[in-house]
Amino acid sequence: MIRLAEPVSERDHVLGPAGARVTLVEYGDFECPYCATAFPIITHVRDAFGPNLRFVFRHFPLRASHPHAGLAAEAAEAAGAQGKFWEMHDRLYERQDGLDDRALRKHARKLGLDLERFEHELATEAHRERIRQDIASGARSGVNGTPTFYVNGVRYDGGWEDRAMFISAMVQAATGRQVEG
Amino acid sequence: MARKNSGDRRNAVPVPEISRHVGRTTWGRLFGYYLIVAVVIGTLTHFFPSRSILEQIRTRRETALSARALFARLGESNFFPTGTPDWIDAVVQIIGALLLALPLAFVYVRTRTSQKYDQSIIQTVIMLPIVVTAILVVVQDSLALAFSLAGIVAAVRFRNNLKESGDATYIFASIGIGFAAGIHALSVAMVLSVSFVLLELGLWRVNATAEFERMFARFCAPSGADLAEIQAVARADAARPALAAPRAAPRNGTLAPASGIREQTADALADAIVPNGSRPTEKLRVHCTDLDGARPLVEALLDAEAKDWTFVTALRHPGGGGLLEYAVRPRKRRPLPELRHLLLADAGPHVIAAE
Repeated sequence: MIRLAEPVSERDHVLGPAGARVTLVEYGDFECPYCATAFPIITHVRDAFGPNLRFVFRHFPLRASHPHAGLAAEAAEAAGAQGKFWEMHDRLYERQDGLDDRALRKHARKLGLDLERFEHELATEAHRERIRQDIASGARSGVNGTPTFYVNGVRYDGGWEDRAMFISAMVQAATGRQVEG
Repeated sequence: MARKNSGDRRNAVPVPEISRHVGRTTWGRLFGYYLIVAVVIGTLTHFFPSRSILEQIRTRRETALSARALFARLGESNFFPTGTPDWIDAVVQIIGALLLALPLAFVYVRTRTSQKYDQSIIQTVIMLPIVVTAILVVVQDSLALAFSLAGIVAAVRFRNNLKESGDATYIFASIGIGFAAGIHALSVAMVLSVSFVLLELGLWRVNATAEFERMFARFCAPSGADLAEIQAVARADAARPALAAPRAAPRNGTLAPASGIREQTADALADAIVPNGSRPTEKLRVHCTDLDGARPLVEALLDAEAKDWTFVTALRHPGGGGLLEYAVRPRKRRPLPELRHLLLADAGPHVIAAE
């Protein structure tokens, strides 16, 4: 049973109430095709659980195989600095073929961000440390690929593509029985 | 989990005896209904007396004051002093027949349990008097026409059994239409045809006679105590494994309980449910941390907020919790996404997710 090394805290990007019965943490890469496949599934799960689910996203860009993943993660953080992390998160997964500089600026413009501030923060790598901390916490938590999920602090190794199995695991976690998948 | 043998009575869920008490609510509603119907029928027959009645009064040899006075009153106050045309007479009689047949359906549902309930009987009870009325408006006191009718009905021989008793009303309606047309009473034939079609479509459209619980709630409109009791019995029936009288196919969506159900995918089970009439349109899966605790609350909320719903299956997860699946027809004012959110908010602590 592999546990999350760093608990969810105020520094995390969180959707859902703090007291939710199920906490789902995802270590993801914006250029990872599997993460893009998981995105609508996670959206569905979030909708299904409603206030019973707290969803947390942490960056784990695999720069070696995904050259744009790091910059995309910084772009999401820059959007988050202007209060639109989740909007950028959704947009990046929905348009995964557009993660270069020009596309990221376009995303920022579409979201109504302060473009000057956005570009400045990307150019100065203002959020790089934050990304690095997420990667480090993932490594300590046993993340070895993306997406990696933790349900109530325990790594889920089951088939997340199987929506029913995924939900079942979270239901069992809510009953107090941890499932590794 | 151990599977229960369908013949294992030791583990059968005890079914509470349904109360045979006819409460004041039922009596009151029946009395009020018949009172209103009497006023309606009395008014209609007063202003639209049939020709046969007037003819009888006119040709009577008695000089009783009451008969003459009645004739005088009818001649003065009705719309057709010489007698109502046949087609209007047919409308009046059919309305009367329909209003008087409805309580029969009411009492049928009230006195039957969900196991003995037969939907096609309800439709037949409602539709057959209308057909017979129209036929007899045509036949009236003609012996020749009566024998002709008997001969025609006898000539229509069914080599195959009708699947439902309601099918027979279609046959009789067609005979009635042909009969009326044959004696140049096309107006009566038209009234029968239109009223039959509208009523059948209306019953089918609202699915008024489908499941026991739905029919009871719609038709009988009992008090809250009655309904809760009836629904408790219906659910107990649904939870009991098939024993002496297994059904060939599920009619109302109730299958064996989670502990005895065969392992099928939820989709396959949902496809197997074909209630008569229109089919609930959307699938609702409710994930629970405690199936037995969640189910009554979920179904109470569906009763209150959904237009129609059918239980499909319950599946227990090996590690705890489970899944309840329903086929739901949401109300327009409460679409399925809203219904799901309502379940998450109000259906108690055991509901963890709804999709």
